[in-house]
Amino acid sequence: MALKFNRNKHNSKIILDGERWERRLQKELMSLVREPPPGVVVDSDQGENLSLWTINMTGAEGTLYEGEHFTLQFKFSPKYPFDSPEVTFIGPNIPVHPHVYSNGHICLSILTDDWSPALSVQTVCLSIVSMLSSCKEKKRPPDNSFYVKTCNKNPKKTKWWYHDDTV
Amino acid sequence: MFAFESVFQCIFAPSSPRIWGTTENADNALSTNTSVVVPSDPAPPYMEVYYPVYYPSPSIARTGNQLTEDEQVKIALRIGLIQNLPEGKYGDCEINTECVICMIDFVVGDHVRYLPCLHTYHVRCIDDWLMRRFTCPSCMEPVDTGTFDWI
Repeated sequence: MALKFNRNKHNSKIILDGERWERRLQKELMSLVREPPPGVVVDSDQGENLSLWTINMTGAEGTLYEGEHFTLQFKFSPKYPFDSPEVTFIGPNIPVHPHVYSNGHICLSILTDDWSPALSVQTVCLSIVSMLSSCKEKKRPPDNSFYVKTCNKNPKKTKWWYHDDTV
Repeated sequence: MFAFESVFQCIFAPSSPRIWGTTENADNALSTNTSVVVPSDPAPPYMEVYYPVYYPSPSIARTGNQLTEDEQVKIALRIGLIQNLPEGKYGDCEINTECVICMIDFVVGDHVRYLPCLHTYHVRCIDDWLMRRFTCPSCMEPVDTGTFDWI
């Protein structure tokens, strides 16, 4: 079992051995199912592949996103939790928000520069919920069309510039 | 100068202890980081050498043989600082009950490291993180500031 994740599609060795990596993700999944942040629903069965999760999110009551449904995708590299997960909105409804690009990429510092292994899927979800909830005006980032045309598929390859912490 | 050279040899050595870097195939590191110099002739598979990977800054991964001189100094200093952080066996009544990196509860006798902010982690968990970024994962306090109070 410990060898199972030593070589995956990233074809690289991991830091936490397979057993501890898998155990941390299983534990996170269970706690997210048990105590999800408000509006977050996660299926305890994420299929065979523990490195790819789909999480459903509903806009909180009294916010601009009330009643809307969103889907978040988490991708975990073999270096998780030393490397942050790759988090994007997927599906037909991408929230219109000044920090969310129309391709689903999210400008959020804890997903790159400010990541720490003490953070978890739960805290990332909570951040995204509060980011949406504190939004005052539904609009795309000012550089949306240029970014979406030129960016890498992986948002972690983007050199983000975090300047606005109001929403 | 001699002392420095021996430290660098230690960094370069593919067989250096795992905690100072992840042993990763040099080719893989190249594919994930385009900023490193690509050697003109990749070694044939039977000659493949595994180099440890280092993180001069959190987003930059380089194999030991591709570090600049400044990065080598930075990593050598960091290794020294990590080795100076207190470590010990997890005892009966400690404040932290779980290693937040692997999310596993400590067991009495676990090999743990204490950071100046008093957060505790498994040595193998925290050392891997400190080689990437010199902050406490829990409180984000820089680890080096309090180091000398402990020595």
